[in-house]
Amino acid sequence: MAAPPPALTLPPSQFARLQPHAYLLAHLSPPASSNQPSIRANGRASSQFRPTSANTGSLTHTNGSAVVRVGDTTAVCGVRAELLPTSDIASWSVSRSGAANNAQQRQTSSNSNSNDEIDPEESQIQDFNLLVPNLSLSTGCAPGFVPGAPPSALAQSLSHQILALLHSTRLVRADDLRVWYQVPRLGETDTKGQGQGEGGMDVDDDTTTHGQGKREIKAFWALYIDIMIVSLAGNPFDAAWAAVLAALRDTKLPRAWWDVDNEMVVCSDAVAEARRLALRGLPVASSFCVFEADAAAGWRAVIVPDAEEEREIEESARKGMLRRWVLADPDGYEEGLSQERVCVVVDKVDGKTVIVKLEKNGGWAVDGRELKQLVEIAADRWEAVKEILEQC
Amino acid sequence: MVAPSATLSTLNRADGSASYQCPSTGSNILGSVNAPVELPGRRDALRPEDATIEVFVKPGTAPAGVGERYVEGILKTLLGRVILGREKGYPRRGVVITLAIIGGENVSRGDPYLILLPALLHTALLALLSASVPLSMTFSATVLAVDAAGQILREPSAEDAATAQSLHVLAFSSKGHLLLNESQGAFDLDTWEKVRQRASAICHGTQLVSADGDVAMAEDVDGRPLEGSLREMVEDQVYRDYNWQINAA
Repeated sequence: MAAPPPALTLPPSQFARLQPHAYLLAHLSPPASSNQPSIRANGRASSQFRPTSANTGSLTHTNGSAVVRVGDTTAVCGVRAELLPTSDIASWSVSRSGAANNAQQRQTSSNSNSNDEIDPEESQIQDFNLLVPNLSLSTGCAPGFVPGAPPSALAQSLSHQILALLHSTRLVRADDLRVWYQVPRLGETDTKGQGQGEGGMDVDDDTTTHGQGKREIKAFWALYIDIMIVSLAGNPFDAAWAAVLAALRDTKLPRAWWDVDNEMVVCSDAVAEARRLALRGLPVASSFCVFEADAAAGWRAVIVPDAEEEREIEESARKGMLRRWVLADPDGYEEGLSQERVCVVVDKVDGKTVIVKLEKNGGWAVDGRELKQLVEIAADRWEAVKEILEQC
Repeated sequence: MVAPSATLSTLNRADGSASYQCPSTGSNILGSVNAPVELPGRRDALRPEDATIEVFVKPGTAPAGVGERYVEGILKTLLGRVILGREKGYPRRGVVITLAIIGGENVSRGDPYLILLPALLHTALLALLSASVPLSMTFSATVLAVDAAGQILREPSAEDAATAQSLHVLAFSSKGHLLLNESQGAFDLDTWEKVRQRASAICHGTQLVSADGDVAMAEDVDGRPLEGSLREMVEDQVYRDYNWQINAA
């Protein structure tokens, strides 16, 4: 007798490919009879991040570099510093007077930002584009991205997000990027016209520290921050930002000075003289996605409940189609199944959590109450990432 | 507070269009919508049951750069949830939205698009309505700046935004959901709660729900709620379009 035909069974990996939404839903809402906990398909709890590791200083040709791995997403970041002589800045003499004018204005805006002294010309970083981040996804990091192709819309918007975050957190101090020159006092005061025009402010600031002459900026360091996503399995922003942060912490700028005889900026090649950047704070990014149970929503007319009505339904009481889960640090599989994204960037100043960026888009599940929980999760994540970055 | 103004269906060749001016931020946006259109080279493997939404933002003087890609992404995700891309005639087709910034401050490299974002969102919405694209709900958005003293400033100019402690863009659906939040700069949750309340009041007014479930939009310090203004802009256009019929009757 022939054996009975085998029952049609599918291994879990095939079920995950055929019915991705149902697969994740079955993991998150197991039948009550099975006594299984609600867990994501990748085995994590909903607010659990992937294991993260960081490594710095691996690239020898850069001023600072880092490799950050968040689960299977890997970002490599290299920081290259180049000198930008002020004589090459077309708007240098013009912007100097302008900067002095709105110095007062800037001061009022930043004085609540506690313990660091206020730099009235912090905006030089933005004005002269001293930070140039670029993110590349064309590395064969995921099947959807063709290697060698022009930067995709995702890569461009990630580059922009990183630049905007660098500017808004004022992570890098403008003073770290300046190359000063102490004008020696030779008989009379400096007769250079440009020196007169720009001198006023610097002399006021610095006469107490050194009486022999005025200081002027001869060059800036421009930092080229290149990020390669070597492997992409969801959540590229968190990994990329952590890599930028680790690389900037690792960055050392050589001692540079103005050589009067050659009229150029020269650098010392002694490693001992190089100095690290003094960064402001440690903003850490945490991303979330919202997975909704309602897979069929698109197939029939959408009836969106009123926000007021919806708020009255407690999360635990949500049943069936209305249920949803906020998943921390989504992997590629989960990102493909959710539309709503939340990104929280937090820093801690004296134990107090400060939000530096809060983004949510693509849905209506997350509102005040949910955001509050997410900020708490992000604050815990901050501690974890801080530890990882300090160890490397 | 000067209310924003808009004209619908200004362009003849597009399926729908809108021109929108916001006096307080100084932005002036022209938007056009073509839908549904056949898209060349569309890959059916990508969600064949849904419409593809494409958003293009053209800055006034420069070619589009990474900042525009970013804001296009924001608009695309938000509109993707609002447009009913699975209605008859839309799946596998495209909804193409083009927004040209024709006035106001320029956005320089690395600057956030936050000040312009509400105007872009409103223009896109009005253009979509003008093209009769099916939507699950409408929305309204506003931008708020919080200065160092904790004062909330509505629709700041570029200079105010540069000195502000934090900037927030919030969009609310017509049903009161928080659809979009983009905040940057240092702040804490209490500040955000205040900002959210104020933004909700600007967009919806302080809502008074009467016994029969009707929602009345009350006016307060912020003048007319934005939701109402947008509604009126569309109503005016409809009235103008059907003038011949109304007068004939």
